[in-house]
This record gives sequence, structure tokens and C-alpha cells, in this order.
Amino acid sequence: MRALAFAWRSLVRQPARATLGILGVAAVGALLFDMLLLSQGLVRSMRDLLERQDFDVRVTATEALPGTGPVIDDAVAVVATIKALPSVREAVAFRIEDLSIDRAGRRRVRGFLQGVGRGAVQPWTLLRGGNPQGPRELVLDEDGAREAGVAVGSSITIRASCSAERDALPPVTFRVSGIAAFPFDGPDDVTAATTDDGLATACGEREAGMADMILVTAAGDPAAAAADIAAARPDLRAFTNEQMIGRIEQGGFTYFRQISTVLTTVTVSFALLLITVLLTVSVNQRLGEIAALRALGFSRARVVADVFSESVLIVGIGGALSLPLGFALAEGLDRILKRMPGIPEPLHFFVFQPEALAVHATLLVVTAVAAALYPMRIVARLPIAATLRDEVIS
Amino acid sequence: MGVFWAAVVVAAQGQQPPDILVSRQLAEAEGLGVGDVVDLATSAAGANARPFRIAGIYEPTPDPMQLGQVPREVRMHLPDLLSLTRGPDTPAGTEHVDSINIALTDPRDADAFARDLASRMPGVSARSTSNPSFDGNPFVVLERFHLAIAIVTIVAATVFLLALTIMLVDERRETVGVLRLIGLPVHRILGQIFFEGVLIAGVGALFGLVLALGSERLINEFFQWRYNTALIFVRITPEVAATCVAIAVPLGAVATVAASWALLRRGALRLARR
Repeated sequence: MRALAFAWRSLVRQPARATLGILGVAAVGALLFDMLLLSQGLVRSMRDLLERQDFDVRVTATEALPGTGPVIDDAVAVVATIKALPSVREAVAFRIEDLSIDRAGRRRVRGFLQGVGRGAVQPWTLLRGGNPQGPRELVLDEDGAREAGVAVGSSITIRASCSAERDALPPVTFRVSGIAAFPFDGPDDVTAATTDDGLATACGEREAGMADMILVTAAGDPAAAAADIAAARPDLRAFTNEQMIGRIEQGGFTYFRQISTVLTTVTVSFALLLITVLLTVSVNQRLGEIAALRALGFSRARVVADVFSESVLIVGIGGALSLPLGFALAEGLDRILKRMPGIPEPLHFFVFQPEALAVHATLLVVTAVAAALYPMRIVARLPIAATLRDEVIS
Repeated sequence: MGVFWAAVVVAAQGQQPPDILVSRQLAEAEGLGVGDVVDLATSAAGANARPFRIAGIYEPTPDPMQLGQVPREVRMHLPDLLSLTRGPDTPAGTEHVDSINIALTDPRDADAFARDLASRMPGVSARSTSNPSFDGNPFVVLERFHLAIAIVTIVAATVFLLALTIMLVDERRETVGVLRLIGLPVHRILGQIFFEGVLIAGVGALFGLVLALGSERLINEFFQWRYNTALIFVRITPEVAATCVAIAVPLGAVATVAASWALLRRGALRLARR
């Protein structure tokens, strides 16, 4: 009988302990799998989100992330300069301000108002209606339309709260030209977007002049476009999506990677310790049986292989079970973390990557081997005659 | 608003420039010290820069919301900041500020005050600084996340604990059988096993707490170094320690008793292999 089949019978003979061991590995394995998904999940999800848009380069006034640093002044001229570059296909100014929507007899709805320069590409997906064409038109997300009770063609009265204007601004009425989905919209956020002139009107400005960032679509290589923009406007900073991810990674995103590293280490150590104890106790209880097998002609390598196979079976079955468990757990944990404010709806903390699966499998294999080392040593050094004698006397 | 600082002037000359405080991180990064005079400007080009004297280096109040962003900050008196940032068309006294900190006579009135202000001054919003437990608070969310992880860990540990106790109890099958044969009732043996479980779980919980206290400093030092912050990431409070013991000890004792119960239901002769 092969070592694996023999180990299987050993496990089946003691179903309670085998089941509990496997379930323990499954639970620990699920946590380990989730930590691996978390380590790169947010960054990968953010990369997907950025790449799903048609913009390759983002231009800001300083190294600060968009919306957290100074604005770009004279945005119209900046956009014109960037658009003139041969490596650039499209450039639009983007500015975001706070918004509240008046509702008759009800509490105001709060959200964000984007002002986007005219261009072939817009940073939203139109669901119904059309894009805003004039300074008194806007597109609104589904949540906003529902909360405000408006549809395409309706009028909506909004009040902007602009960073450049500290006085309370008068309400402005817009026509809803369309309903759109915004990629960076949070689950409870209300977002509206209008033209750059429309936002200037809402902010009580004479004309559109400033932008939080310029969104650029490269004609070819984004890195070349970013370099050209940096050369044309050395006072500004141009970042490709990859560089933007790097900047985000340097910020709070690393927290989850660090947490995942710490928890991965703790989880693997925990699994290693417990499987070692489980196997060691199990082997110690069967010393007489193993000595008898050796006396019957089982080689040392064979009994060692039996113990190793037992470890492989416990970790293997537990590891296989840990994957569906891990996916289910990741779903729940993702839902918890997505309650954080400002997290866009399509962004996920736990994202499946084939690399995570490979690392998970490798860590479990290493755990199975390492956990079996000590019990294998006990079995390999077992004195046959003395053990049998002790067994008979006891 | 960004304030840009330019070349360091080592010695002040003439009239004493206004005092500023510089964050430790900025001082370390740029090699600034108390008594140095620096030029500050509101544009990266350094136009209209004005000299300021560093009166002190301060440790910024740790802000978890700015984790990962090294605080390169300068603090100055508000009139100095307004004077530095005021546009040529803005008459003195008409500048704006980002926020106003308000101390209420009764802090419990914070929500009512915020509502009152919002109705009287549309566009101005007031938020209580002592109400962090709302649903979307990032730290409440993180707390829930860590709690969920802790629950999964406890489940995994319980399963392993049960497997181990089943094996350990099985190892003492003959002893238990003999105890039964010499007349000890089941509840007496179960009581002994229970107290043994409490003892082992208690020692294990204490060991776990010692391990946690030891790693607390390591984890804090690592993350404080990594993020260049004075934030405390892990804190083992008496409440946390009590919760751990309150979960671990009963769990260990119950696992031991549950594992033993199946064994004790068997006949004494069968247990003693007679």
C-alpha cells in the first residue's frame, strides 16, 4: 500500500481529530489567502480603475495627490499648451468642489460637483441622456437623481461650496442633461458634473480658470507624453497611471500591505505550530504501532513517508477547502472595509490574483513540510525493540 | 494652500523676523534648527518671500487620517500667515480662514449647534470633534475589520484546540478508566478535567498576553519608523487584556470538557481496555 493511501487510512481511523485538523487548516488557510489578496488588492484595484478610464497621464500643480494640493491656475492656457504637444491626443481640465442640492421641505443632499473641460473623452460613463453642452447643464449619478427626484430634462437647484470662494454662494439652477456613472463615486456619494464654465458659474466666477488636475490621453507612449508635458510646463507635475499608483502606494495604501504582511507571518507561524503539535501528539500516540510496522518490515523511509503524507493530506485538504472559505471571507471583509468614506464603489480591498494563489500554495507546501519535520525525526529515530518492549510492559 | 520655503539664511540681520515652529519631520529632512531664519513664499518660484525665524521644532499631533504623508509643516501666527498669503486686491481684515475651532459651554450641544449654524449660514458646515463613532468613520471601520479577523482567528484556534484536547484526552483514556474503576464518579473526573483545562488555558492566555506586550513595542516602533509618525498602532489596554482572557480561558476549559465528555460516556472497562 502506498504511503499516501496508508496515511489516508490513518486519518479515516480517527475521523474527529482528522476533521478538526483539516477544518483548522482550512480556517487558517482562508485567513492566509485573504491576507495575500489584501496585500496587493487595493493597489491592483486602483490600477484597474485608472486604466479603465481613457486617460493615461494626470497633471497636477505639485506632488500632492489631486484634491489635496494647490490648484492649477490658468487651466485653459495649460490645457491648450498640453493639447498642442504631438504626444498628446486629448487633454481636459478637471476640478471638483462640494455640492448641496436643495429639496423642497427636505434635508439637503450633499455631494461633489465636477467641472470638466470640453473634450472627446469625459471621465464618466453616460447611462441616459447626453453630456452637458452649456454652462447650465449637468449630468448626475443615479443616487443623486433618485435623492433629488429628478430625471433627464428636469431642472435642479444646486449650491456649490468652492475652495476659492469662502462666502456662501447663491443657489444656481441647472438642467439635467443626462444620468452618468462616475468611476470614483463612493457607494453613498452623490456626484454631478458640468462643464468647466458650469462649475465656474456655480462658484460665482466670471470664467473657468483653475483646475485640480489636467486629464491627458496620450497619442502613444504615456511616459513620453508625461515627459513632454514636464518639459513644456516644468512648473507642473505630470504622472502616468503607473506613477500615480506609486504615489498612492506611498500614502495610506501601504498600511494594508503592512497589516497583511504581519498577519500572513502570524497566520503561517500559527498553522505551522499547530500542525506540528497535532502530528507530534498523533505520532507519539502511535509509537507502538509504528515500531510494530518497522518490525514487520516497513523501512525507515517508508514510515517517515507515512507521517509526511499525513501532513500533506491534512494541509492539502485543508488548503483546498480554504479557497472557497477564503473567497467568502474576503467578500465579507471587503464589505466591512468599503464602509470607509471616500472609497469608490468599484474599488476593492481584496482582489484575486493568480500570484496570490501561487504564494498561498507555496506557503502551505512549506508549512506541510516544516510541520512534518519534527514528527518525521521522531519516527526515523524510533528504536524498534525498546519501543515494542515498553509497549508490552505498559 | 501651499507655502514654499526657500534657502535658509543662517543669521538674521536687522529687524527680528516673526517666529515660526517647524515640524520635526521637515526639520530633519532639511537640516533646520532652532534660531535659523528661513524664507517662506506662497509660490514655488519663491516670489515675495519673507523671512521667518525658527523658534522651535514641534512633533505634529499624530493624525491617523494623514498616515503615510510625512508632515512637512510650519506653524505661524495667523496674522503672519494672512499677511503672507493676502492677495494685492484683498484689504487687510477681509481674508478668509479654512476653519474656526469653537469651544462650547456645554460640549453636549455640539450637534444642536452644528444644525443651528447650518440653518443660519448656508454653505458653512460644523462638525463635532468628539463624535468619532459614526458609521463611516475610518477607524470604526478598521476596528470592525480587525474584529472580523480576530473572530476568524479565534474560530481557527478553537478548532485546533478541540483537535488537540481530543488527542490529549484520548492519551489519558486508560488513566480515566482506572479512576472510574476505583470508584470516582464521572462528575468528579469531569471537574478535575475542567480545572485542568482552566489552568492550562489561563497559563496559555497569560503567555499570549506576555507575547502581545512584547510585540506591542516592536510593532509600534516598526510602523512609527515606517511612517515617520508618533502614532500608536497597537496598544494593549487593560480592557483588551481582560477581553482576551475572558475569551481564551472559558474557550480552553469548554474545549477540554467537550473533548472529555465523549470519552467519559464510555464504560469504565472499555476505557481501561479490560
